[in-house]
Amino acid sequence: MVQVSSMKEDAVTSGHGSGGRLTQKLTERILSRFETEGFEMEDCAFLDKGGNDADIAVTMDGFTVSPQDFPGGDIGKLAVCGSSNDLAVRGVEPRWLTLSLIIEEGLEFSLLDRYMESAARTAKEGNIRLIAGDTKVVPHGMADKIFIAACAMGKKMSSRTLQTSNLRQGDVLILSTSPGRHGAALAAARFNIAAPGLTSDCALLWPSLKPLMALDGLRCMRDCTRGGLGTVLCEWAEGASLGVELVETNLPANRETNAICDILGFDPLYLASEGCAVVAVAPEQAEGCLDLLRQNSISRDAAVIGRIVADHPRMVGMKTRIGGMRCVDMPVGEILPRIC
Amino acid sequence: MMCLAVPYTIVEIFDDGSARAESGGVEVEIRLDLIEDPAVGDTVLVHAGFAIQKLDRGESEEMIALWKELNEAAEASVARV
Amino acid sequence: MPESDLKAPREGPANIEALRGKLSEYLECAGRPLTFMEVCGTHTVAIFRSGLRSLLPEGLRVLSGPGCPVCVTDQSEIDMALSLAKRDCVVLTYGDMLRVPGSSGSLLKMKGEGAAVEVVTSAIQSMEIARKNPEREVVFLGVGFETTAPATAVTLQQARRNGLDNFSVLCLHKTVPAALSALCSNPDLRIDGFILPGHVTVVTGLDEYAFLTKKLRRAAAVAGFEPEEILACMTDLARQVAERDFRLSVWRLKDVPIEGNPAARRILSEVFEPCDARWRGLGVIAGSGCRIAEPYGEFDAVRKFGLDPAEDVVDNGCRCGEVLSGLISPPECELFGRVCTPLAPVGPCMVSSEGTCGAWYRYHQ
Repeated sequence: MVQVSSMKEDAVTSGHGSGGRLTQKLTERILSRFETEGFEMEDCAFLDKGGNDADIAVTMDGFTVSPQDFPGGDIGKLAVCGSSNDLAVRGVEPRWLTLSLIIEEGLEFSLLDRYMESAARTAKEGNIRLIAGDTKVVPHGMADKIFIAACAMGKKMSSRTLQTSNLRQGDVLILSTSPGRHGAALAAARFNIAAPGLTSDCALLWPSLKPLMALDGLRCMRDCTRGGLGTVLCEWAEGASLGVELVETNLPANRETNAICDILGFDPLYLASEGCAVVAVAPEQAEGCLDLLRQNSISRDAAVIGRIVADHPRMVGMKTRIGGMRCVDMPVGEILPRIC
Repeated sequence: MMCLAVPYTIVEIFDDGSARAESGGVEVEIRLDLIEDPAVGDTVLVHAGFAIQKLDRGESEEMIALWKELNEAAEASVARV
Repeated sequence: MPESDLKAPREGPANIEALRGKLSEYLECAGRPLTFMEVCGTHTVAIFRSGLRSLLPEGLRVLSGPGCPVCVTDQSEIDMALSLAKRDCVVLTYGDMLRVPGSSGSLLKMKGEGAAVEVVTSAIQSMEIARKNPEREVVFLGVGFETTAPATAVTLQQARRNGLDNFSVLCLHKTVPAALSALCSNPDLRIDGFILPGHVTVVTGLDEYAFLTKKLRRAAAVAGFEPEEILACMTDLARQVAERDFRLSVWRLKDVPIEGNPAARRILSEVFEPCDARWRGLGVIAGSGCRIAEPYGEFDAVRKFGLDPAEDVVDNGCRCGEVLSGLISPPECELFGRVCTPLAPVGPCMVSSEGTCGAWYRYHQ
């Protein structure tokens, strides 16, 4: 008699929040309850102003980072960067912001003030205005100090709509900086690893992406947040039914991020960034795109990391240092530190 | 390249058998209970927070011999071209 | 020989090319297709991540063995850990263990339901946590092979020294040679050579593996985890078969004492004693487990909480044992892809993301 214990999912797990395959399933589940005709699976949506070209975009994002303070930023800065970067990668200049704060009772005012000052400073730097907001206080233990939901809005500056369906065979992929520094900085803080030289890449992307609006061969862009670069590229490959080919030795790398990955058994390809964009551009404009990116300090290390190919559609392959090929798959659930 | 025992250099040794060790720009706390006569500056292989072996013996003879053989073979084939 | 010749990444492909050529030569000499097994889960991941598999010549099949200590943790052992979490113990574990299925879910699932399950990155941290929470029973899950077991042994010594009465260890440590020996006892075994784990031998030394070459007349060699090291090891395995010259060799760029780490082994033999252990997919293997020895009995979670390692295990139909022995390929198991998937794994080969079944599922669908 064969009996099988099955691990049926009957509740939300931490893995559903990890940005990989399970997050995809969760999103699908939620959307299935709605009328979603015309719903794009992109980072932000364009508002249809009744016949005119859509030129206002909106996005919504939640922030529950632990620890709330990390090298290179805090939850306040992250809320502004994270939400407005979702606009920037669709060629939208972030202009307006609304914030909804879920505050746990007992949060010291000194912390609250610091996070809000940090958010305000970042908004000012990006020329983004706070136009509405909300606060809720929940009993002790119902939230982890503070959760922030942010809605960012802005004006479309690209001549055409940047979207996954623009991808063509031969397009060149450019990464604006080394991937995973945000995830690595958080992991270092959580697992007691001292990394004095490492800060999160948390930053506003628009200033470095704005010059790319001049390129008519710009196809689409994404910021590599939850699930990392690997997940974004898997989404592109699946969304466009094309293959992605990466070249390992071309990937910008960060020494401390690699060291942290070695210790914990992580792969930098799946670690979150908060100021790192991957850009797809027509091959004849790749060089120009690279030059434009490198003029901005946050994307000084930009590099061509691969291209869109016709073979292995819907799959991401990576040419490795030793000349082999490996598959880059979407992570299934939460990324856990490993010993073997 | 991932490998879950990483070579670290011992930076500081404490009385309780723990130490600070550095690799690739990051520092962690490790235990030295499994190593005989550890000293600051030693390179040790660390697995799950414990140094499991000193790594101060240079290169492996077998590897050197093989590499040498391969390099010579490669040179010979270049010479033939 | 300057060091740069051995390590310069730019030299990588050139070295790899040369090694591939040599490997092909030996395969040709062998005159038949060969099957090697990498015994260590970290090798499995290294082979996958470096893209080495795609560079292997025709006529060579490489199987992933029972070499991930986490994946071979039996369902009954996970059930013991789950029962500890249900009893309101603080359960501390390496991250690898969280997803491994018991008969009613995993530690990750219990954590999601509010159980006190926390990830540590070193065994010693579990003792600190016990010290800081004197009102809670704190249990550390000791999993891993000979590389990892010494850390648990030291932690037990420290716990005894400090007289911690709220700390214990659920000891699930296993040893590699016994499992290999059990695999090899199958007369149908179709494995010509073994890639032995670089880090386990850092502790154990090589003597325990001599039976592979001397008694069983199989090729066996130790490799580090750089792709060049693994390929050099495979090349030597093919040489051993081709020349019928079975000798344990070591392929590590860095030289490590071949006698292993005697200090670590002393601590292991003081704190643990060998016992029979149940392996997921392989069943009970005599002498392949570590039990906490009498002087440390008070820190043994099995004794402390009267845990019952279920004797009668239900046959769940998993054929990982045969996959691990190279007898069948994953799709020949009726659970594969239907009941047993990466999201709901049944056997060790699917539990491990790079196990034979996990990899097959991802790349052959």
